[in-house]
Amino acid sequence: MTTEIAGLVDTQNGMISRRIFIEPEIYQAELRRIFARCWLFLCHDSQIPRPGDFLTTYMGEDPVLAVRDSAGTVGAFLNVCRHRGNRLCRADDGNAASFICAYHGWTFGNDGRLTGVPNLREAYHGDLDRESLGLIPVAQLESYKGLWFATFDPEAPPLLEYLGEMAWYIDTFVDRREGGVEVIATHKWIMPCNWKFPAENFGGDAYHVQWNHLSAVKIGFSRGVTANTHSTQRMASPGNGHGLICVGPDDVGDPPMPEIEAYEREIAAEVRQRLGPRANLINPIVGTVFPNFSLLRGTSRTFRVWQPRGPEKTEVRSFVFMDAAAPPEVKRAIRQAGIRGFSPSGSFEQDDMDNWQECTQTCRGVVSRRMPLNNRMGLGHERFDPALGAWVSDYRFSESNHRQFYRRWAELMAATDWSAVECATARNAEYA
Amino acid sequence: MPDSDTIRSVEQFLYREARLLDERRFHDWLQLFTDDVHYWMTARSNRYPRSSKAIAILDADRYAEADLDDADELGLFDEDIRTLTARVARLDTGMAWAEDPPSRTRHLITNIEIAPDASDSELTVHCNFIVYRSRGETEQDFYVGARQDRLRRVDGAWKIAKRRMVLDQNVLTAKNLSIFF
Repeated sequence: MTTEIAGLVDTQNGMISRRIFIEPEIYQAELRRIFARCWLFLCHDSQIPRPGDFLTTYMGEDPVLAVRDSAGTVGAFLNVCRHRGNRLCRADDGNAASFICAYHGWTFGNDGRLTGVPNLREAYHGDLDRESLGLIPVAQLESYKGLWFATFDPEAPPLLEYLGEMAWYIDTFVDRREGGVEVIATHKWIMPCNWKFPAENFGGDAYHVQWNHLSAVKIGFSRGVTANTHSTQRMASPGNGHGLICVGPDDVGDPPMPEIEAYEREIAAEVRQRLGPRANLINPIVGTVFPNFSLLRGTSRTFRVWQPRGPEKTEVRSFVFMDAAAPPEVKRAIRQAGIRGFSPSGSFEQDDMDNWQECTQTCRGVVSRRMPLNNRMGLGHERFDPALGAWVSDYRFSESNHRQFYRRWAELMAATDWSAVECATARNAEYA
Repeated sequence: MPDSDTIRSVEQFLYREARLLDERRFHDWLQLFTDDVHYWMTARSNRYPRSSKAIAILDADRYAEADLDDADELGLFDEDIRTLTARVARLDTGMAWAEDPPSRTRHLITNIEIAPDASDSELTVHCNFIVYRSRGETEQDFYVGARQDRLRRVDGAWKIAKRRMVLDQNVLTAKNLSIFF
């Protein structure tokens, strides 16, 4: 089954079967082979800064509780009571020493330990091993520059290896200044589309901006960068399925608000020095960490997770972020730019939904489903650039990142374990 | 307590505004706002109250139980007259794909209540709304919430000087907010 699924993607020729966007069995296999194995984004440090702070989220369709325990250590657990499988914590966020299941009252500490079972002695006759019945933790949990990632697979490579050179590209979003960034607004909504459409779009679909988003550019919600007027624009993929759209080092991609533009001019030299020499070559404005975590810096500052909710549904959890060191008026402007640009009401974002929705729903037709998707733009014209540590297109539009995304997708769908999955760092080294 | 003429004039103003939106007369709609308007909408959070026995709170000082954030953290709209005008201009480009073909909307305004501190020139009015959206072939959305408007009398007519709206959802089930409220 999974070998057959992997065969639905022909990355050599840039062709994809549309079955992967609609068929329930393929979606279930994705939950097992992609979402139960990859490193997935959980939350940012600034969302749970103090002991007891918690938030609830999802990894794939699995409910997850991320919590900083009383000693200050961050943990992530299945948000599922060990007794009857009830969802343990039902609030979005809060601060807790312990969580008590609403069904029978089993109690779990903020470190995941099972601390209370009503009628333990009388009902269980001492035959219940509380030690082994704590909340089920994720297999691995790591933070990179304040971004918490987790995986359910103990065999998954360490986060830094999984990210590879993508780590530097993430720095250009979240480590531009001392103190990193903080989350200053949250948006959550449901889109009627397959999760891969937004993930591939943020990972390298520069091509759509000049048409899909032209109305927002025309009326001044963005400077030229998102209209693709920059001949310097390139698709860059460090491998492992990750991808970014980048412009030249001096091209401006910021929201067109005076407070933000003044701030960016002021800190430009400092940022470049902090990011190192590569920042003199390239300026990433949007990208996707495989499989479903995207970061955006052009027109708005947001990172978001595309949570799968069945083959035809995606829940977006989007966070407006800003340099922690930025002054309050700049943070306010960034929050407004986020709402006005990339949110459910965003002048850019709202024009994406119908397109992703229709791309998904036309796959319902068995004949339409047979029509292969063409991701051949720029095929054979990407090359590995050692200075950028990435595969780079030779033109401002290319589907080179799409091919990298689906190549990784197919690789994971076929692989029975991580040892069969190629590591980009090794592959890239052959070309460097 | 505002007099019945004031109450009627406010009701008629709000009903007319709803009709302008449903008829997609957005340029006429923009005329209903003052130049210094702040137009703002938020969604709600999903939190345990402090009295809940579902958690034992560790740090009471940090615990927030309100389902509305104080610092307008969850804003879905945060607009001034310039950005509202730009949003309308976007619809005129012929390329605003979220509204092309347009959504069909019906704004229902209820529970109109004028705050007691009303003066002849300025008042606060609360109302509830249901906005029905039909889109494409069979898509439907219901946007339900509350609105608090500060109305100011300018040259004998009411204008909206401040609009604060709350949508009663946590995760929005609509794919976007491509319409006005």
